[in-house]
Amino acid sequence: MNTILSGEHIVKSFGDGAERRNVLDGVSVEIRKGEFVSIMGPSGSGKSTLLYALSGMDRVDGGRILFEGRDLSGLRDDDLADLRRRRMGFVFQQPTLLGNLDLLDNIILPAVRDERRGLGRHVEKARDLMRRTGIEGLERRSVSQVSGGQLQRAGICRALLRDPAVLFGDEPTGALNSASAREILDILSEVNAAGTAVLLVTHDAAVAARAGRVLFLRDGRIDRELELGPPDGQGLEERTGRVSRTMRELGI
Amino acid sequence: MYARIIRNDIRRSRLASLATVLFVMVSALLVSLAGALGAELSAALETLMERAATPHLLQMHSGPIDLERLESFAAGSSELEGFQVLEFLNVEGAAFEFGDRTLAGSVQDNGLSIQGRDFDFLLDLDGNVANPREGELYVPVFYFKDGTARAGDRVRILGREFRVAGFVRDSQMNSALSSSKRFLVSPEDYATLRDRGSVEHLIEFRLRDPGALGNLEAAYVAAGLESNGPRVGFPLFRMMNALSDGLLIVVLLFVGLLVTFVSLLCVRFALLAKIEQDYREIGAMKAVGLRVSDIRRAYLAKYAVLAVPGALFGWALSFAFRGPLLANLRLFMGEGGASRLAPALGLAGALLVGLLVLGYVRGVLGRFRKISAAEALRFGAPRQAARRPGRLRLAAGLPLGANAALGFLDVLARIPLYGTMLAVLVASSFIAVVPRNLHTTVASPSFSSYLGIGACDLRADVQAVGDIPGRASEIASALAADPEVRKTVVLTARAFTVRGKDGSESSLKVELGDHAVFPVAYAEGRAPGAPDEIALSVLSAEDLGTRVGDRLAAAVDGEWRDLRVAGLYSDVTNGGKTAKAAFSGGEAPVLWAVVQAGLADPSRSREKAAAYAAAFPYAKVSSLQEYVAQTFGPTIRAVGSASRISLGVALVLAALITALFVRMLVARDRVSIAALRALGFRNSDLTRQYLARSALVAGIGVLAGSLLANTLGESLVGALISLFGAASFEFAADPLSAYILIPLAVALAALAATAAGAAGAGRIGIAQTIRE
Ligand SMILES: Nc1ncnc2c1ncn2[C@@H]1O[C@H](COP(=O)(O)OP(=O)(O)O)[C@@H](O)[C@H]1O
Ligand SMILES: [Mg+2]
Repeated sequence: MNTILSGEHIVKSFGDGAERRNVLDGVSVEIRKGEFVSIMGPSGSGKSTLLYALSGMDRVDGGRILFEGRDLSGLRDDDLADLRRRRMGFVFQQPTLLGNLDLLDNIILPAVRDERRGLGRHVEKARDLMRRTGIEGLERRSVSQVSGGQLQRAGICRALLRDPAVLFGDEPTGALNSASAREILDILSEVNAAGTAVLLVTHDAAVAARAGRVLFLRDGRIDRELELGPPDGQGLEERTGRVSRTMRELGI
Repeated sequence: MYARIIRNDIRRSRLASLATVLFVMVSALLVSLAGALGAELSAALETLMERAATPHLLQMHSGPIDLERLESFAAGSSELEGFQVLEFLNVEGAAFEFGDRTLAGSVQDNGLSIQGRDFDFLLDLDGNVANPREGELYVPVFYFKDGTARAGDRVRILGREFRVAGFVRDSQMNSALSSSKRFLVSPEDYATLRDRGSVEHLIEFRLRDPGALGNLEAAYVAAGLESNGPRVGFPLFRMMNALSDGLLIVVLLFVGLLVTFVSLLCVRFALLAKIEQDYREIGAMKAVGLRVSDIRRAYLAKYAVLAVPGALFGWALSFAFRGPLLANLRLFMGEGGASRLAPALGLAGALLVGLLVLGYVRGVLGRFRKISAAEALRFGAPRQAARRPGRLRLAAGLPLGANAALGFLDVLARIPLYGTMLAVLVASSFIAVVPRNLHTTVASPSFSSYLGIGACDLRADVQAVGDIPGRASEIASALAADPEVRKTVVLTARAFTVRGKDGSESSLKVELGDHAVFPVAYAEGRAPGAPDEIALSVLSAEDLGTRVGDRLAAAVDGEWRDLRVAGLYSDVTNGGKTAKAAFSGGEAPVLWAVVQAGLADPSRSREKAAAYAAAFPYAKVSSLQEYVAQTFGPTIRAVGSASRISLGVALVLAALITALFVRMLVARDRVSIAALRALGFRNSDLTRQYLARSALVAGIGVLAGSLLANTLGESLVGALISLFGAASFEFAADPLSAYILIPLAVALAALAATAAGAAGAGRIGIAQTIRE
């Protein structure tokens, strides 16, 4: 009813023959509308793999993924692409911006395919997002002319351009210094407060603590689930402490 | 250790390696074919003209002849090795009956002849001097080629029946370009038929030293001997024999060199990508103390492994193609015993191509020297020359859609990268368009105007009859009264004595009349208009030592007139030594007359020619279209097949290089592709973006290529053509194919290859690539 994205018994394996192993071995997750969820786990535990599976960027070997009630495995590649473009947003660890476009063009990229005429609306939206994320004035800059933090903000603007139902982040602050990281996280919290569901992969307790719920991934399964309460930015230190304790308990 | 590196390297870049081998092979194939053909042609030509003992000087003459005077001239010349006068019995085409066919439609002067006494032999297909018995006929090989006659056929000539005993190669008149054809009969048969046609004399000389031709000719003219007809020297015989196959060789060589150029591009391309990929490794090799020359040697060895077998394979393959290409040559000239030299020359050509490629690789590898070990290890390949967003922006609007915009933007941001592809496409359309233009030019009616034949639709030659001027004007008035005839002109050739620069006097054949009506192409200057102007054929001008603007004294009606040389033109008719003027000729002897006519509907020229030929049996009436088709037919066909081959080569080239290029782009752009896919671009969108890139590059490339082909290509071909005696040259291109169809075909080949190459973009895993 209120679920926007769910995975049931997801299996994903890599390798051939004897080398083959299940990186995801029957993982089930459920994300509700407007929820903020973090996924944690040791390096190599399959966090990214889970994220790519849930967003339909990678096909799975077993289980079922429902996005807004539609089974992703039943969709053709083109339908998956359409879905990503219209309903999902992505922020990666490396800002995957195109080098031959300026920042503004990079941000409106998810809209250009569908909007030949009404592009102006999206350009306005992009400028608005750039202002809100503190990179106004950099519209005509090229990718090589701005800092890593600014690139990551541009990446977030790009992800938010079309008001996605879910924003996926794969360690979006992993490559940033702590001040930049905090600012990016503040922006994500704001986005979530405005109603967008956020699914964040991280190995950093302070980052995970922004979420309302933390999933701990280990040996291909969800090992533990931690409820932190509404992600309103209150008591961040206390929440970070709880995440760190759980991590220690699990030996992560 | 290098062996392993090489093997791995080739395995990893299979397509690029294959393309290198392929291009080296094709260029080696073409170059060695050209080399082998050249060797064969020169040897066969040599052998034919030697065995046939081709005269060094031939003076054709119709009308009364004073044999004694000629004998005493020959006896008085110490340079002569031989002298003879042969007869050529001119028989009208309709009197040759091959079953139910006749030669009535032939533009050749067909006639009977007997075997030369001392030299100028007609050779059978085994290269022996043919000696027909009574009732036997030897047919010019020209009519074997076009299927008119087969050995054993029954043929009626002037009502007398002959059996075709064989075919003859005629070292003088073999070529379609030469306008006469000699049928060989026995002396007995000849004697019987002699008074049934008009006799022309072939006054022939052999020299001890062929270099003395100029002196002999001058002496002959100075002696005022018989000269009512063309005078042809040994070099022109050789040129006419060589022209068709020579053009084929020129085209092969031309395409071969262009393909070599493209193989170099291809190598450059693969190598630079490779250096970028291996930047770190190269740095590491340097760091552990391997010397640059060692590294270079490793790469050089790899290309040697590709290029040398490629070249050898191309050479081997040339044996398969040699047969069909040599068929024509062997038929007309026989085997020249060059079969041993030809493969060697072919091999030399092929190895030259291979060495060229290796030399080029060495050059490109010079870049290794610039790589610093420390930098390479730390940073990897230097970033692509900072890609910069240009003035074009998505946010400014997308008139052609997002994919087109993204494609174009990428090209504009990385112009040097796309330069290679551009160069290949320019070269491809150049390769496709130039031979095609050459073909349409040679096939066009205007081509004959480069060779000294006015661009009319219909011509009637009046020669070797009484009252030539009267008969010509009879035809002219009939033509003028014909409502289908647009305009008509009579040119009357008369002999005048002229005085050269050095004061020596000689006889010059001058065509008098209005030369502006059906102009020939002037290499320099223009048609003579004023009564004191004259235009000279290039060979006449050489003889007289005059140039445009010079003065020339001519004896007209017993007084010397000072004429100004108004223009120069090339001429392959009438021995190549002619002149044109517009003054009236007075009393000078008339050699021949030509009545030219233009038709309202040129496509009716064949029917009209037939009608006038029937009405005026004493004239040789021909349609220019027909004349060109018959005279230049073999040449046109050879150039035509060469142009089709080049089109094929160009298309394969464009497609293959583009496919390689796009695959390399996809590999380079992996991360961007994954990002675009993650953002929800469909695979078809990616393909469209690549198509847009190629469309832009191909659009510019083929446009530039066809423009270059029509300008630079024209001068290039012009230079080559001038080697064969036509002095001024312009393409008569078919604009539809030269500017639209062929460039479009090249562009489409590139686009199809792009679609194929870009398919790989859809297989790039998003998850996998972005995580890297
Ligand atoms: N394309 C692939 N091929 C083979 N193994 C892979 C591939 N992608 C991921 N893996 C393996 O799957 C496991 C999980 O990877 P990943 O999801 O990136 O972990 P995390 O993000 O938690 O660090 C790792 O052991 C990794 O080596
Ligand atoms: Mg990861």
